Amino acid sequence: MLQAVTHLQKQLGQCIQTALYALLLFASIADAAEFSLNIADIAAPDFTARGIVLILPENGSADLRIAELHVQQRGLRNVHLHCASFALSTASMNCHGGSLAQLPGMSLEFDYRFDTGKWQVSAALRNVPGKQFAAFLPASMLLPTQGRLSGTLRISGEASGVAAVAADMQLADAGFSDASGLHAAEKLRGTVKFAAVRKAALWTWQGNIAWQSGEIFWQPLYLRGGHRISASGSFDGARLKVEQAIVDLPEVGRVQFAALWDMKQSTLAECTAHGENLALEKFFADYARPFLDKGALAESHLYGHADADWQYRNGATQSLRLALRDAGIADAEQRFALLGVNSEIDWQADAPRTANIAFAGGALLGVPLGSGQWAVQMRGMEFSVAQGVLPVLDGKIELHDFNLHHEAGYRETGQAGKPCSGCSQDVAWHWQFAASLSRISMEQFSQAAGWPKMLGTLAGRIPKVSYDGHEIDVDGALLFNVFDGTVVATQLKLADPFGRAPRLSGSLTMRELDLDLLTRTFSFGNMQGRIDVDVNNLELQDWQPARFDARVFSSAGDYPKKISQKAVQNISALGGAGAVAAIQRSYLSFFKDFGYERIGWSCALRNGVCAMGGVDDGNGGAYVIVKGGGIPAITVMGYNRSVSWDELITRLKRVTQNNMQAVVK
Amino acid sequence: MKHLTKFWFVLFAICVSAAALAEADLKASSPGIAVLKQSMHARHVQLRPYLDSGAVGVTSDGMFAVRDAGSVPLAQRQEVNALVAAENQDRSALYAEIANANGHPEWQAEIRSTFAQRWIQRAHPGWWVQSGGGWNQK
Repeated sequence: MLQAVTHLQKQLGQCIQTALYALLLFASIADAAEFSLNIADIAAPDFTARGIVLILPENGSADLRIAELHVQQRGLRNVHLHCASFALSTASMNCHGGSLAQLPGMSLEFDYRFDTGKWQVSAALRNVPGKQFAAFLPASMLLPTQGRLSGTLRISGEASGVAAVAADMQLADAGFSDASGLHAAEKLRGTVKFAAVRKAALWTWQGNIAWQSGEIFWQPLYLRGGHRISASGSFDGARLKVEQAIVDLPEVGRVQFAALWDMKQSTLAECTAHGENLALEKFFADYARPFLDKGALAESHLYGHADADWQYRNGATQSLRLALRDAGIADAEQRFALLGVNSEIDWQADAPRTANIAFAGGALLGVPLGSGQWAVQMRGMEFSVAQGVLPVLDGKIELHDFNLHHEAGYRETGQAGKPCSGCSQDVAWHWQFAASLSRISMEQFSQAAGWPKMLGTLAGRIPKVSYDGHEIDVDGALLFNVFDGTVVATQLKLADPFGRAPRLSGSLTMRELDLDLLTRTFSFGNMQGRIDVDVNNLELQDWQPARFDARVFSSAGDYPKKISQKAVQNISALGGAGAVAAIQRSYLSFFKDFGYERIGWSCALRNGVCAMGGVDDGNGGAYVIVKGGGIPAITVMGYNRSVSWDELITRLKRVTQNNMQAVVK
Repeated sequence: MKHLTKFWFVLFAICVSAAALAEADLKASSPGIAVLKQSMHARHVQLRPYLDSGAVGVTSDGMFAVRDAGSVPLAQRQEVNALVAAENQDRSALYAEIANANGHPEWQAEIRSTFAQRWIQRAHPGWWVQSGGGWNQK
């Protein structure tokens, strides 16, 4: 902009000088009380003026009228400049007490020396409407549309162009907006002080903004008043240098920075920033979260305080030193939290470092985590932990060979620095680890997770869990020791884990679960014996079953097998009300427990419908769920081959909530 | 002869694709579809005032777009942007889920265009709908 002004000033200077010499010539010829001069149109590349009339009354004032003025695509009509005191000589021209009809509230002074070419324009504004002032500013700027401006403006220069600019302005209820409404401000109050001086081609500048109140939306940031910035630096026409800047962020703290901005490429060439005791919660919420896409991090909260030192050069962060004090992160859905984090992290782009990170506790899927301390090895964008312990309830998860790295998809194309559209999705954090779970009490775990109270322990070894930016894969088997038996989960994959509808697939193999413990846990009506359960082709969407092939059957071996009358009723009730009544009406209702030989039930879930079967496929419609044996024996038959999964769950809930009412017809 | 073969091939392809689409069950359900529909339903309550005021409009491909950010208070502009982005993301995900539930992931594009027509047809009177590059009030 300064270059444009310089260029314009040169043209104007020449035009005015020509016009004034003409005027002097005219004045010397016509010896009259009032001079009036009509000047032909003036045209230059960025400047045209038509219908110029200069009137010089005898009282020493002057009136300049321009019918049409175009400056850099900005058109003004009927410009009228009045100078209360106008002096013109062969050496200089100056105007005191000047005013523009279009800008009531602004007084102007200017001074121009023909011999040296030096000139100065200064303006004092008193509550000038921003919208009217905008008419005199370049159209390419974001212009004020509301509010009032007060203060002083001074521009001076010489034949070679503008040499100094100074402004000291107060804004009152000022506002601006671009056409899209994505960059806008309202009710701005504050002061702007700015001074710049040019020596040869180099400008040195300093500025100060105290933004008291009002709001700015600069997509995606929304900020309110309370910010202050003071900065100084230089500008050589191509690069804007901020030598030192101090920014006060409300409720966050003070950040100091120095930067070099490449104007031609619109890129940050260099930056160093330093902040002490910054409040992370507000900093993250106001200045970081708006830039994040929807996802787990975007819905997280940060806590605590941090000191930070950041160095950026050659398009990348070179070093980042963070001192975290009682910091924490928790996602809004309560899936994950890590709190009371204290650490001195000294990250370097090109040198390996180790950070000791201590944390006081946290939570994972509602299950509380204990305190720990991890030594994190940092090698550029690769972070690893050889061994880390995460206390979970009364047990622990031991992590081995944890590795986190940022993988940029465009590296695969071999064009470093050139992102490609087809593979941009692959730019993501990848991680993997091996883990062993040691004896976590299922009783505590199930309560913490909001499940029915289960007995047993959770233990297992996972050779490898990995995340590639899209999917979490579990290699090997997760082993749970529950209900005196085992549950082994294999081929587990969790797609879109942090998205809206995570999709889990895998298989479960359960062996020798104790029916006594199981039925007591779920208040089903007592059964004794052991069962095996296979769940293959399992798919959960948003943690709800979408597909599986499940089979429940009596375990091999010799063990007592008993089923209570209540359990018989409940099993029957799962298949509908029909069979229940038969038991209650028969002599069987005299017995509390029955013997059985085998239990078998299967369900293939597809499209919300469970296709059921029993001990064997049976004949026709009916199938055997409990095959009787011993004395007294009972056989429970199922008659419905297919049932809606939602209906089955509703029945199961009714049964386990002990409020099942047998329907007797 | 070559052209004739080509013609029959194209005709066959059109018939097959039309027949295939005719079989697509747009009401297919799965837990994934359910969670998306629920999320879209919950969001609609928040988006409705912006649709009514004209700040947000329905695009010709059945998505939402911020049409007039200037009519939204500054403090809420990013929220509107985020709501529109999340809604569009959910719609795309929904079409993919329905195609998956139909067992034909490749039907996604057809399902999208069928839904686009529905969204435009079902736009309330007073809402802004994009057509031919411009916005028209329904």
